[in-house]
Amino acid sequence: MRNKLTIMALLAFFQISGMLAQQNEVTGTVTVASDGMTLPGVNVMEKGTRNGTVTDMEGNYSIEVAADAVLVFSSLGFERQEQAVNGRDIIDVIMTEDLEGLDEVVVTALGITRDRKSLGYATQEVDGENFTLTNEQNVLGSLSGRVAGVQVTGASGSSMGGTQKIKIRGINSLSGGGEPLLVVDGTPISNANFAGSSGADYGNLGQDINPNDIESVNVLKGPTASALYGIRGQYGVIMITTKDGGKGIKDTRVQLSTNVSVEKAGNFMPVQNMYGAGSSQSFSTLPNGDPYVALGVDESWGPRMDGTPVRHAWSFYTQDPGYGELAPFSPQPDNIKNFYETGHNINNNVSVSGGNENTSYRLSVNDTRIEGVEPNTYLKRNNIGLNTSLDINDKITVNSNVNYARNDAQRPQQGSEYGTGYFVQWFQRNVDMNKLENYQYSDGTFQHWNLRSPSSTTGEITNFNPLYWNNPYFEAYENTNNDRRDRFFGNIGVTYQVLPELEISANVRSDMYTQNIETRRGFGGTGVPGYTVGKYQNTEMNYELLAQYNKEFGDFSINGTLGGNIFDRRYSYVYQGTQGGLTTPGFYNIDASIDRPTTTSYLLRKQIRSGFAMASVGYQDTYFVEASIRNDNSSTLPEENNSYWYPSFSGSMVFSEFTDWKPLTFGKLRASYAQAGSDLAPYQTSNFYTVGTVYNNINTLSVPNSLPNPNILPSFAHSYEIGVDLRFLNNRLGLDVTYYEQRNKDQIIDLDISGATGYSSRVLNAGEITNNGIELSLTGTPVKTDNFRWDATLNLNRNRSEVVELHPGIDVYQYGSTTYSSVNSYLNSYEGEPFGSLIGQAYQRDEATGQILLDANNMPLYTDATHNFGSVLPDLTGGFQNNIQFGNFNLAAMIDFQKGGQFFSRSKMLAVRTGQDPVTVATNSNGANVRDPLEEGGGVEVSGISADTGEEVTAFVDARSYYRNVVGRRIYEEWLYDASYIKLREVRLGYTFGPGVMEKLPFEAVNLAFIARNPAMLWQNAPEGIDPSEISTGSQDISWYESGQLISVRSYGLNLNITF
Amino acid sequence: MKRIYIILLSSLFIWSCNKFDDEINTNPNRPSEASGTQLIASAQLSLPGLSSSPKGAFMAQYLAETQYVGQSLYPQESTSFYSWYQSPLINLQTVIDSEELNGNDGPVANQKAVAKILKAYYFWNITDRWGDVPYFDALQGGDNYTPTYDPQEEIYNDLFSELQEAGDMIVSGSINNDIVYNGDMAKWEKFANTLRMLMALRLSEVDPDKGSTEFNAAVNDGVFESNSDNLVYRHLADADNQSYWFGQVVNQNREWWALTETLVEEMKPVDDPRLAVYGEPARSSGEYVGLEFGKEEVTGTETEEYSLLGSDIYAQDAPVYLVTYGQVLFAMAEAVERGWITGDAEEYYNMAVEASIEQWTGNTDEVDEFLNNPEIAFDADNAIESISNQRWVHLYMFGYEAWSEWRRTGYPNDLVEPNGMAVPTRLSYPDNEAFNNEENYYEAIDRQFGGDDSIYGNVWWDE
Repeated sequence: MRNKLTIMALLAFFQISGMLAQQNEVTGTVTVASDGMTLPGVNVMEKGTRNGTVTDMEGNYSIEVAADAVLVFSSLGFERQEQAVNGRDIIDVIMTEDLEGLDEVVVTALGITRDRKSLGYATQEVDGENFTLTNEQNVLGSLSGRVAGVQVTGASGSSMGGTQKIKIRGINSLSGGGEPLLVVDGTPISNANFAGSSGADYGNLGQDINPNDIESVNVLKGPTASALYGIRGQYGVIMITTKDGGKGIKDTRVQLSTNVSVEKAGNFMPVQNMYGAGSSQSFSTLPNGDPYVALGVDESWGPRMDGTPVRHAWSFYTQDPGYGELAPFSPQPDNIKNFYETGHNINNNVSVSGGNENTSYRLSVNDTRIEGVEPNTYLKRNNIGLNTSLDINDKITVNSNVNYARNDAQRPQQGSEYGTGYFVQWFQRNVDMNKLENYQYSDGTFQHWNLRSPSSTTGEITNFNPLYWNNPYFEAYENTNNDRRDRFFGNIGVTYQVLPELEISANVRSDMYTQNIETRRGFGGTGVPGYTVGKYQNTEMNYELLAQYNKEFGDFSINGTLGGNIFDRRYSYVYQGTQGGLTTPGFYNIDASIDRPTTTSYLLRKQIRSGFAMASVGYQDTYFVEASIRNDNSSTLPEENNSYWYPSFSGSMVFSEFTDWKPLTFGKLRASYAQAGSDLAPYQTSNFYTVGTVYNNINTLSVPNSLPNPNILPSFAHSYEIGVDLRFLNNRLGLDVTYYEQRNKDQIIDLDISGATGYSSRVLNAGEITNNGIELSLTGTPVKTDNFRWDATLNLNRNRSEVVELHPGIDVYQYGSTTYSSVNSYLNSYEGEPFGSLIGQAYQRDEATGQILLDANNMPLYTDATHNFGSVLPDLTGGFQNNIQFGNFNLAAMIDFQKGGQFFSRSKMLAVRTGQDPVTVATNSNGANVRDPLEEGGGVEVSGISADTGEEVTAFVDARSYYRNVVGRRIYEEWLYDASYIKLREVRLGYTFGPGVMEKLPFEAVNLAFIARNPAMLWQNAPEGIDPSEISTGSQDISWYESGQLISVRSYGLNLNITF
Repeated sequence: MKRIYIILLSSLFIWSCNKFDDEINTNPNRPSEASGTQLIASAQLSLPGLSSSPKGAFMAQYLAETQYVGQSLYPQESTSFYSWYQSPLINLQTVIDSEELNGNDGPVANQKAVAKILKAYYFWNITDRWGDVPYFDALQGGDNYTPTYDPQEEIYNDLFSELQEAGDMIVSGSINNDIVYNGDMAKWEKFANTLRMLMALRLSEVDPDKGSTEFNAAVNDGVFESNSDNLVYRHLADADNQSYWFGQVVNQNREWWALTETLVEEMKPVDDPRLAVYGEPARSSGEYVGLEFGKEEVTGTETEEYSLLGSDIYAQDAPVYLVTYGQVLFAMAEAVERGWITGDAEEYYNMAVEASIEQWTGNTDEVDEFLNNPEIAFDADNAIESISNQRWVHLYMFGYEAWSEWRRTGYPNDLVEPNGMAVPTRLSYPDNEAFNNEENYYEAIDRQFGGDDSIYGNVWWDE
């Protein structure tokens, strides 16, 4: 009944709309103030309606409007202009260039466009061109350094679209999570991540957006900006607006963009080239007296690589042409480098856009093919995007936005126990990579380097199963990881201009994907052969109804929004893995499982129902106040506690209106307050049991480790923000500064509790974490002449976090822990301290002098794993972007940086422990190699205070015992590094071919550019070989320890853009 | 005009309503109910973990490291007890506390009795390793986040009475889903009494009177009478239920452990028939050669030159012996010697060795010859040493139990001290207890060990 009424009412409005005021035609030409040239592509809109057109190639337009209408002329890079028709038939308009877009329109929450100057909170916009500068593999990585307050922690390019983690304004969640919501043209899309903290890094799903489709990205940083997203917007929102066609342009525009780049592995960790495999400096010998390489030892504490003829691993394979032969035991300085290949990244994008008076469209197709620097790795990606808009009449517009993305990848594994992560961790410096490259003999067997020792009676090896590590080529070709994703996202919507000041829109938004992940472990390598396959499906629907009201009454302007949304998510997966091996070599299928395969099926459902309203009032275009409220009902919260209200207030004042001080072009003061909230994942409020191993048809069930909580409440964030927006000297210089404070209370966390309770953690509303900081964005044009212009933007953010409170009786929250060789380390948060302290074993020190305490053997003493090394979070993050235009040349360079923050490096620790690091072959103060016997002056010089006698001691100790058993194994203080860096992330040098060239060719514009991505680390405090900007480890929210990081990739290429 | 707003507002109201489909937040992926015996079965899956541990084998010096020597050098490091509370114990506690057990799985009293017995067995192992541990306040979930550490003496006292109570609860009728005793309640009752007996012996130094009393009470109630009463966890020949050592030696290709010189020197000269099960002859010589415990590897060929684990020990479906008839007989022999019971110590000793050889080799053919060896024959003048040394050989691979007996008796008295580091006398508490249960943790180490959570503190019964 209600539905019928609604339909009838809507029909009634459609009829009314047909009989509105009389129309007449207005025509005119739009020109540019500076040079008098005509301006094509200017939007000409009848104010308060959806009636509009666009100027043609000669800058002419024609539009049917009411005699009392007001026309609005807008074009990117020009100041908006309004002209009352007042009965005129011809209206010519001169547009002035808008250098920094004071009157720019920004896209705010729910896709509502607003005048930037009316906003009482901080947002920062990034132009779409920044996302295609150098062909970044994961589009979100391009945000790094471009927005003050946004920290991006990335993965190495070897991962081909690996994880790029985004944090806005510090860590606002005790659990370390809290990533911003991604919204594309109003449709929230998933940014989930299927990667674990090691293994293949599948990357976050936000990368399914085609960078070539991005018109602009607007970052809503604080809860006020994102208040209209309620429970989902607590950690900020990244609003992506895609390109569309333009109504009115009758011709079709075709754009072609081609990138070809080569990718090179870079940033190798230095290694020593003096000593090879082994535990001691002498060779073991075969029964015939031939010395042989210590095959079973994956360390380099062995004999000097002095060219002694020895039997290498390959010489024990009877099928090897070198069987039985001796070859020199000599250094292989480039053995790690030789493994990597030159990768390629080829990217083609075609877009076709156009329209006529009442339709517009843009179709974009992308094909990306990447071959990685690790052998046998690739990513193939395709995107198709279609934006259409159709005016059914001058009141009703139907639009649709459909995006398809497909990823098909075979990726390398990262982490110390995976893939090639072992190279600097456990390896022999004498291994010849070129020998390993032919990893499979003609009889199908595999060649490995890490084998059991030959028999001391026969001198032969009978068991060729590799001991701990596979030949890296075996890893690359036999232990493959494949992932494939098909995804659709977008929306279909109707907008109805009910009244000139009232617009109602309804949208159905969807994001759905199917992700497949397969892993294989081949026969003939370490471990049990196996195969796993998972199919993950996610469908997220949003049904949205929105009414917007805009009206001016004299000096007052009123802007109101009222809306509702239903969010509905259904996620399911089926995962299967073989157990106990495979029946048939090469048959990778669950049917090949020898034992009962592991299987999991999972279903998740979640709904959020929301209603919201926002109202903004402006006075004389100078004072603005705004308030919003949202109500969210989440299905994951207990029924009696599932409805919550989130208000926000903000205000701004354009104070430059009151001053005549000439240098100040524009000045605005703003302040805001908001509450935001978040709920929790489903099924955490009721008890359940875990299904365990089946023993002889006995099904075991057990109590889960995490204790559910039926009384959970949503968490609340309170935030305050004040800021000032200043523009000087006609926009030559701009400064935008914001101070913010965010207080997150009643965080829903899985709090670690003593295991003696029977549980490891409990879901609780616990604690309070605060963040405050300053964001600064300085823009300027230091040089501007007729044919030279230099624009620069500097973004800075300084953030301070504090864990104010946890839970009564609990004053530490354990975020994560690792154990290696029985030594623990933790990332903990303590009450009264910044979030995320690194905890581990330190040197024991003399209290008076701070010197290291030594034991009776002069080895350093260490604390237990409770020493607090301080927070991992950086003090300062930012970016420095430069654009230089010189004639037809354009040079763009992006530098981003971070000051402070720290991490443990397990790679470096193990490089030292296993005798690969150059420090293990250093020359000591006696002039001897540290590996030389102590009696010959060798050994590592250690000084400190004897714990027994209290005397100062300086002594030499055996290098292997010192590095391998003590420092490189137990003292994490040594492996703690500052994460500060300054990185040159992108460089692009382009040339735009002038009209002279164009006349001979059927092109409208051609730009050819040299591009370089990640060409250089300009400065870092951490040792060479570890890139602190790439320590994102898979799905880990906080990067705090590095282990088996993928090799950095430097990429150089050409980019060609053609517009027809 | 007004109607527009009314419609808008009313549709928004519909949108924003807090009643959801009842099912939406009910977890379809996990059962919300579990039977008592399924929880007990899950708790039984943790049994082999009590024994199967390189660290335990290093404590009793059964095994030496061939490569990556480190753990056997007795580093000062923490060892977590959390998984014992989180896996077997909370499941057993849930059964003990449950008021909804289903009699279709066997008499409810028997389900509870088995849960109590297993809980006591786990706690006995835990307290012997660490000393005072959370006991009375433990396993209460959200009702007590910070359980206090109870003195070991109080834990022992309570375990005695809990085991007695559990034995008394047992009624006729078997239970389902029993992995170790297949629901045989008579075996469970004997097992409970055997535990009391072995625990009582642990008090031989700290409180012999109490020990004697409890020992006699347990024996009177009926302890193991043959190897068929043993508590043995039998792994299966499938990847889900395989033994720890199979995963290490076969799946991961790790030949990291050789028999120690101490063990081989104890067994090889007397032609111990169990040695052929315990280890393999060295590949290079075909002889049994033990590796010196805690010696840094120097050649990288240790795996060739020393005796590695026996194939029965690392078989996929290897049995793990936890509480055995052999132990009962060694205990009887010792109790005679201590004057706790009457009888013939030598006879018990001989029976114990026989039971051990039967358990390990499956036959008793070589027992007489073996016992006739003067090195093995019962030495009445050094009875405790004789018993303890053979018990050490018998307890092979259950290093933690053998280590407890070493701590109590001091035998075998030829364990080595790698790099001058003595054999530890306890495990350090988990280091995250210093974060999660700070006050109680520090109180416990102050009370017992003068504030130092060292591996060289002595637990209560270890005087």
